Amino acid sequence: MTRNWWCAMALAAFSFSAMAAGARPTIEELKARPVLDDYESNIVYGYNIVMETQRYAPRYVGSRLNCTNCHLKGGTQPEGFPLNVEGVYPRWRAKNGVRNGLGLRIRDCFLYSLNGVMPPEESPEVQAVAAYIHYLSEGEVIGRPPDRWGVPTLPETGSDPNPARGSVVYKQKCAACHGADGQGTAAAPPVWGPGSYNAGAGMNNVQRVAGFIWANMPLGSERSLTHQEALDVAAFLHIQLRPFDPRTTNLWKLVERIAQAVSSFFGAGKP
Amino acid sequence: MRATAAILGMLREVIPDLRWRRAVDGRREIVSGLAGALLVIPQAITFAYLAGVPPEFGLYCAVFVGLLASLLGNSPMVGGPNTSVSILIAATVMPFSGRGSPLYLEFVFVLSLAVGVVQLAIWLLRGAHLFRYFSPAAITGIKTGVGILLISSALEGTLGLAPLSTQFFYEKFDVALTAWDSTVNPYAVVTSAVTIGCGLALRRRWCRSYIMLAVLAGGVMGCGLYFAYGPVTTQLELLGHVTLRAWPFQVPRVTPQHWLFLEQVIPSIFAIAVLGLAQSLVIARDLKARIAPDIDLHKEVFAQGVANMASPFFSTFAGSGSFNRTAVAVEMGARTPLSGIVAAFAVVLLAWVLGPLLTYLPMPAVAGVLALVGMGMIRRREIRPLFQSFGDAAVFSVTTFSVAFLDLSTGILVAVVASVVFFMVRASDVKLTISVEGEQERIAVTGNLYYASVDGLAKHLRTDPTRDSVLDLSRVPYCDPFAVSVMEAIRAERERAGGRLEWAAG
Ligand code: HEC
Ligand code: HEC
Repeated sequence: MTRNWWCAMALAAFSFSAMAAGARPTIEELKARPVLDDYESNIVYGYNIVMETQRYAPRYVGSRLNCTNCHLKGGTQPEGFPLNVEGVYPRWRAKNGVRNGLGLRIRDCFLYSLNGVMPPEESPEVQAVAAYIHYLSEGEVIGRPPDRWGVPTLPETGSDPNPARGSVVYKQKCAACHGADGQGTAAAPPVWGPGSYNAGAGMNNVQRVAGFIWANMPLGSERSLTHQEALDVAAFLHIQLRPFDPRTTNLWKLVERIAQAVSSFFGAGKP
Repeated sequence: MRATAAILGMLREVIPDLRWRRAVDGRREIVSGLAGALLVIPQAITFAYLAGVPPEFGLYCAVFVGLLASLLGNSPMVGGPNTSVSILIAATVMPFSGRGSPLYLEFVFVLSLAVGVVQLAIWLLRGAHLFRYFSPAAITGIKTGVGILLISSALEGTLGLAPLSTQFFYEKFDVALTAWDSTVNPYAVVTSAVTIGCGLALRRRWCRSYIMLAVLAGGVMGCGLYFAYGPVTTQLELLGHVTLRAWPFQVPRVTPQHWLFLEQVIPSIFAIAVLGLAQSLVIARDLKARIAPDIDLHKEVFAQGVANMASPFFSTFAGSGSFNRTAVAVEMGARTPLSGIVAAFAVVLLAWVLGPLLTYLPMPAVAGVLALVGMGMIRRREIRPLFQSFGDAAVFSVTTFSVAFLDLSTGILVAVVASVVFFMVRASDVKLTISVEGEQERIAVTGNLYYASVDGLAKHLRTDPTRDSVLDLSRVPYCDPFAVSVMEAIRAERERAGGRLEWAAG
């Protein structure tokens, strides 16, 4: 009797979750539909932007990265900067000292992580990514961060991050994909240099990038590094040359931009 | 026989007429084409912004719509993106989809396709004749109204206001005045002020290239601020990378959803088609009268229709002839379509060269261009003569008012109706010149005598049935049977009362 009751409950719970899953069509299902309304078409557009930023939002991109390079698997990977974060915005951030709406948060990633041009709040690209984030956040609790939000915070290891040791780790574990010079290969995006995120990006923070690397890199054998190795290689990435922080208000930025424009004109491709 | 002749005539309009090749003055055409390309780039970006589509689309429009209209047409008219058409496109699609979203772009494509189809239908029905009834006063009214619209839509961009959901510029002013410290962006104001100031100062001296110079000045100013104070402080919005594809060919998607959309915007489709043609034909008519007598207006309608119908296939939106760019081209010596063809290719080249620089073009400078183009459309030289006649002044004022305060498509309707009404009123104006020779009264009639205009004459003749009157109808081009029957009735009345009425037909 009780067993039957539990079975029924489990069945009900299962069918409920199936229903909930059915309520949210996958991107593939959406793409296969002949007719999309404005919201759905924006979800698909937002998904395309996150997966192939270079192709779908070229207007505001200045690096060779796509959103999904950091927001892994299109923002669906827990502890890989997942994007199901609608519930935690708007929130105050120390970075710019104001309360950030989701729109501003997205625009910030264009400016810093993609070293590009900050799109206006009402630009179709931002609206589309916001719709996609909204879609990903279905089922999350408003006001509470999603499960395994951001990246894990590594515990104290008792030893400072050391870039010299990091460089060894990089050569052994990372260079195969990201290139010995960090400029990326066909298999992986650049991790420093003109095609990578700039010095103002959230990624350019040793603790955070260490958490990212520990939880997600080397791709395919995640969590194989020790915490110390992850911190070391993060410190190594941190000291590399990358585009200026756009908040630094010096003329160098202008010179750099002009150099970029000139080199892209002479066929060097987008820096 | 007549049918075959008509069909042959239409065939002649369909086939590109390349006879102009023989009379072409290559150097002048090429120079004016290059100048046109330089001129169109800031405008194309601005008008794409007006239409709510990415800036690339504006450039594609300048290239492909311009090229097709020039190749198929037979005039030095410069086609491409157009303010009024862009405004109407945005106003039509906006209620159905968010500005610039994928669905929005699809709707813009099918809308442009439909506009082209309607224009071709107008060509088949020989619609070019109809546009003769658009009076110059109405055209000037539409231009002035659009100028006001442009200036008001530039306000957001120039002040850097946070996006407002209001169309009314006095409301925008109100926001800007009462809450200036939180809404107005001083960096944007400086940038656009430099753009507009430069434009106004240079307009007299360099009437051809002042917009280009103004954009340059505003761009340098804005970039200086952007890099000196940083994007976070200035919050200046930049244009971003303009990525032109070499071959932007695509097939627009038409699904039941798109049909549903088209069905709901039928009035707008017609408004866009008519407005686009009206502008092209006004330009063509003017060119025909002044410099290129063998322009065939029907051929221009056909060219415009095909160009717009093809526009979605080249990832762009509908356009029309451009007043200001044609004026510059003609001034620089363009007499044949060659200059338009050169301009199309030069745009590709220039956009490719300027591309990396355009990335950092601040949007307030673009808004400044919008304001400058708007100011250029309000021409005191065109408006003042209209106020010499009551009819023209009325048509002009009504049209301007409804374009600026109601909306553009209503304004066009009002313009047509007002033109026709005042045409009728003017046509029914009959002047009577009365001279008395002894007992006999001579009445010289000037004007058309028909059902709407005969009243005045009848009233005069009926005042005294015993008179002896002679009508001189030699200056009556047209007299309809109704008017004749009225006069016959009066003659009968007079004969009964002892008077007399005679007339000598002209
Ligand atoms: C170089 C890596 C990188 C790229 C590329 C990148 N981001 Fe991010 N993004 C981050 C990091 C790191 C954070 C977390 C920063 C923080 O917490 O301050 C973040 C945070 C976010 C957040 C807030 C999420 C949260 O957890 O609060 C959003 C939304 C976002 N990014 C959107 C985007 C979009 C959209 C793109 C592509 C246009 C993009 N990002 C590209 C690194 C990146
Ligand atoms: C198997 C190949 C591979 C290896 C080995 C690898 N990565 Fe990655 N890495 C990738 C790929 C692929 C991405 C982009 C993720 C995506 O698009 O899903 C990435 C993304 C990153 C990013 C964020 C994007 C960017 O370009 O900044 C960082 C940082 C990073 N890797 C660091 C490392 C470090 C440090 C190591 C060595 C410990 C490492 N990776 C080893 C393939 C690899």
